[in-house]
Amino acid sequence: MAQAGKKMITDVFVEGARKGWNIGAMSTIPNVMMAFIIIKALNVTGALGALGALFQPLMILVGLPGEGAAVIMSAIMSMGGAVGIVMGLFSEGILTGEHIAILAPAIYLCGSTIQYAGRILGVIGTRGSLYPIMFAICIANSFMAMFVMNLFFV
Amino acid sequence: MSATDDQKVTLGNYIALAFAVVFFSGLLQSNEWYGVFDFTTLNGTFGSIAGGGMFRGAGGDGARDGFLFALTLVPTCMFALGMINVLEHYGALKAARKLLSPLLRPLMGLPGSAGLALIGSLQNTDTGAGLTKNLVEDGELNQEETEIFTAFQFSAGATIVNFFSSGAVLFTLTNADGSLAVPTSIGLTVAIMFIFKIVGANILRLVLKAQGNKVNAQTKAA
Repeated sequence: MAQAGKKMITDVFVEGARKGWNIGAMSTIPNVMMAFIIIKALNVTGALGALGALFQPLMILVGLPGEGAAVIMSAIMSMGGAVGIVMGLFSEGILTGEHIAILAPAIYLCGSTIQYAGRILGVIGTRGSLYPIMFAICIANSFMAMFVMNLFFV
Repeated sequence: MSATDDQKVTLGNYIALAFAVVFFSGLLQSNEWYGVFDFTTLNGTFGSIAGGGMFRGAGGDGARDGFLFALTLVPTCMFALGMINVLEHYGALKAARKLLSPLLRPLMGLPGSAGLALIGSLQNTDTGAGLTKNLVEDGELNQEETEIFTAFQFSAGATIVNFFSSGAVLFTLTNADGSLAVPTSIGLTVAIMFIFKIVGANILRLVLKAQGNKVNAQTKAA
């Protein structure tokens, strides 16, 4: 801590920016690129339209088009991937800025839970019987957040 | 650094925290002089290429468009994490812990000693999980408190770092006319996530209470 106190403010910023570069180069770029490829594949095969139609009744409750379900599904696997899917859908004109405002907190509330089951639940030693409840809470948190964002902030 | 570590929190730390809240809230977003205290203002915009388009161009798709688009996100990610590092250096998170610790019992039924693990978990999932494990081993948390605290950490794990390294870029998206596309702020989004993390922990608290009541009823019946 004493050593950290002597650092120049510019050095501290650069150290953080370097972390940002590593995340950008190692995570953001590959994740967003993959998401754009998935969107392209879903578009070419017509699956994106089908997915949208299938989830429309559920997503309409939170003010989103059916394709918003693709974002939540991918968020469970990877937060960065889901942000990539959002970018892809925004660029296709399927999601608007308002939709993104609704989705932004929801992506993180259920984000990367498959990975975190090992890194949080496993490490702390959570009872196996609570795992489904923990996942359900994350999904519920996402939907409640989308509902609130749609109702009050968009 | 132990799980119950309690360093002195100075006025400077509170100022850093207040600055962090204002900086990311979007309140001062403007091209006036006070815009210097706003993340989105300082993050700036890309210039236009002749004809009004951005260097990414229009009408692209697939891997090539994804790669170019992802490049536009990297500066925001670097700026956000650089600022988080500076604010952390000036003790913003230490001040947040000091303010949050007395609220843990009323908000989630947790002891104040969980404050450090809570702040740690906002930055890094493994830090949060490790510090929580320490608290359990030191007898600071009982089983129910541990499970409630785990539910808090599991939803939006490592909120600060994850959100600022990918989600913050969503707030830089622009419409065709160059205006910002997302009509809310980074600060509001972080606040909503934090509120629902607490809501989620309390849902588990209710579930555990219901399970406990059920077990008690069965024991009585037997």
